[in-house]
Amino acid sequence: MSTWLHLARGPLFWTALAFMVLGLVRQLGLTLWETARVYRRAGDKDLPVGRVVRETGSWLVPVRHFGKRWPYSLTTFVFHVGVILVPLLLAGHVELWRAGLGISWPALPNVVSTTLTLLVIAAALALVLERAIARASRALGRFSDYSLPLFIAVPFVSGLLVMHPTWNPFATDPTLLVHVLSADVLLFLVPLTKLSHMILFPLTQLVSEMAWHFPPDAGSRVAETLGKEGEPI
Amino acid sequence: MATPKRYAYHVEAAALELSDRPRRFLEAFAAILRHGSYNLALDTYARMSAKCGRCAASCQLYEATGDPQDIPCHRSELLLRVYRRYFMQSGPLKARIFGGFTLTDEYIDEMADAYYRCTACRRCKATCPLGMDHGLVTHLARWVLAEVGVIPRALVVSVREQLDGKTHNTSAIPLPALKDTCEFLSEELHDIYSVDIEYPFDVEGSEYVFFPAVSDYLMEADTLMGNAAVMHATGASWTIGSHNYDGINYGLFYSDRVMERIVHQLVDEVGRVKGRKVLVGECGHATRSAWHIPTFIGPDGPPVVHCIQYAHQMLELGKLKLKPEKIPESVTYHDPCNIARVGRITEEPREILKAICSDYREMTPNRTKNYCCGGGGGTVSIDEIRAFRTGPLGMRKADQIRDTGAEIVVSPCANCKKQLRELCQDNGMEEVQVMGLHDLLLKVIDFGTDGGNGAGEAQEGDVDEESEPTATGAASSGGVGVTASAQSGAAGGPDGEEG
Ligand code: SF4
Ligand code: SF4
Repeated sequence: MSTWLHLARGPLFWTALAFMVLGLVRQLGLTLWETARVYRRAGDKDLPVGRVVRETGSWLVPVRHFGKRWPYSLTTFVFHVGVILVPLLLAGHVELWRAGLGISWPALPNVVSTTLTLLVIAAALALVLERAIARASRALGRFSDYSLPLFIAVPFVSGLLVMHPTWNPFATDPTLLVHVLSADVLLFLVPLTKLSHMILFPLTQLVSEMAWHFPPDAGSRVAETLGKEGEPI
Repeated sequence: MATPKRYAYHVEAAALELSDRPRRFLEAFAAILRHGSYNLALDTYARMSAKCGRCAASCQLYEATGDPQDIPCHRSELLLRVYRRYFMQSGPLKARIFGGFTLTDEYIDEMADAYYRCTACRRCKATCPLGMDHGLVTHLARWVLAEVGVIPRALVVSVREQLDGKTHNTSAIPLPALKDTCEFLSEELHDIYSVDIEYPFDVEGSEYVFFPAVSDYLMEADTLMGNAAVMHATGASWTIGSHNYDGINYGLFYSDRVMERIVHQLVDEVGRVKGRKVLVGECGHATRSAWHIPTFIGPDGPPVVHCIQYAHQMLELGKLKLKPEKIPESVTYHDPCNIARVGRITEEPREILKAICSDYREMTPNRTKNYCCGGGGGTVSIDEIRAFRTGPLGMRKADQIRDTGAEIVVSPCANCKKQLRELCQDNGMEEVQVMGLHDLLLKVIDFGTDGGNGAGEAQEGDVDEESEPTATGAASSGGVGVTASAQSGAAGGPDGEEG
């Protein structure tokens, strides 16, 4: 057991982390590069920067978008807050970073982390339920849309049990192993799934705006490539 | 030229005979990706689409049909699936592992129907946390479809006349007929308002070259009289080019390739008459296409002014004088998606209407969140889908209009007006009048004295370069300030809540 644990916490974790970071950096780099290329080629270089920044900002803290489906929006919001804060600011995690790399930052009080963890777990379940109940999201949902929130909940459930041994019906070590392994797998999945929105999200409004900034002669070049120049309409 | 009906709309016979469409579709898609700039958005959307369903509630069509195929994200996924499979690195690999999707003729047919059920109004974009622009995907998908011949016949026939025909306009109005119409409009203006207003042709060096939707010359006499009246009353230097007098650009609806050519044709005409600015008439998509002049011409293309922006500015400057009497009927305003969705023109028309109407009412939601009339994206020209347009696609708009109880719906867009009229007819609201903003403005312009010497002489060919107002009637009304007398009607308010 301890060898497994050692493996999951050590080499596997670092590999997964590196895979995620490199994958995300690659996606970010490609997106930025491509954005710059689109801009360079665009005939109209006048970008509505203010609007793009406003729209991006409004979705980073999307309270004003809650609207009619606010229960769903609120669940999503809570889920995101927890999923971002707990892994980074849990006291136990901060301590691991300090021990491993010698860097450290302020941690959340444990009672806050526990509350957030419980909220994440509840929100993950609620997300899946809401998706299954609401007509539109049910119609759109792919396997991964159901499995991802549930899978994300696994390290939170196991982490909660590790932190509170009195609530844990299982032995500590296997629980910890599940916790670390599921987290490793998640890190791997980030660049490969829609989870990559964690890095691309702030760019999406810009990307949508850029798409309307065509190169001036794209149309005639397409005609040329397809051998349709001079062809009557 | 009856063709067997394969889609909800008619396409030309040749399109139905085309063989090997999947290969051609992919070739066209590849060429468009290579020369265009769409892959950035497609890559991002394909990676991140959350399939959360938020956008569903913002689309007037899905709200009406409740049919999963009408969910914006579902429609965009049709093209994204093709993109993932054939144009993303991981596509072929995933196809091998998970068994893949293959583009077929039937799949192209599915897209052909789906992408003409969406009006590309872009209302849904504002509700997507990931900023996915389904109007953009529809725009692109229609271009690729067009390259395999899938174009509604109503659109392609008009474009053929505009680009390859003799008249160079979508309504095939020959120049002599156009001039007759203008003469007739001048006479009308004289008879009703006792004012002599000419429609100037080919006046070299004019500040504004006028491009309405050419169909206005056939269907919207009052709008055009209002346009001429505003230009006359403000002593503007303007002209109509005799080689090209059509602002319509259906390229926006189905092909950037076509859009590029039409924009060039328009700018060439401005150059031919040595004009300085493009003055767009009351037409939403013509305005949005003209805003693409820098896209195709670069920063040195002529600036674009929308006729409402012009009128608004003249009112603010006190150069356009209004009579003290106001329009007594209750009036509401429909925002054309193409000018309002990103907030470019939303306030000017309202300020004008509030200044000239005694009972102005907002419909909710409005401005950037307004519902499409149901005829956007060129669908209004497709007569064979009228029942669909005025049914599910326009139901929301019909409700909105009904809720205001207004007698007049104003919309500064040729397409919106046609659709709104049919919508009112088909939804038991025959009593509602649909008109342009300049139609109303015309009724309250103070031309000065009763003779016709309002802004007078400058119109006879040699237009006053300074565009100084020469109106002699400045004293009569004290000028209804646009901003000053904003008397908002019953429900005047900020943007309505989104649905
Ligand atoms: S662009 Fe308009 S019509 Fe098309 S899916 Fe979005 S809201 Fe619906
Ligand atoms: S709101 Fe955006 S992510 Fe959600 S279903 Fe619609 S398009 Fe997809």
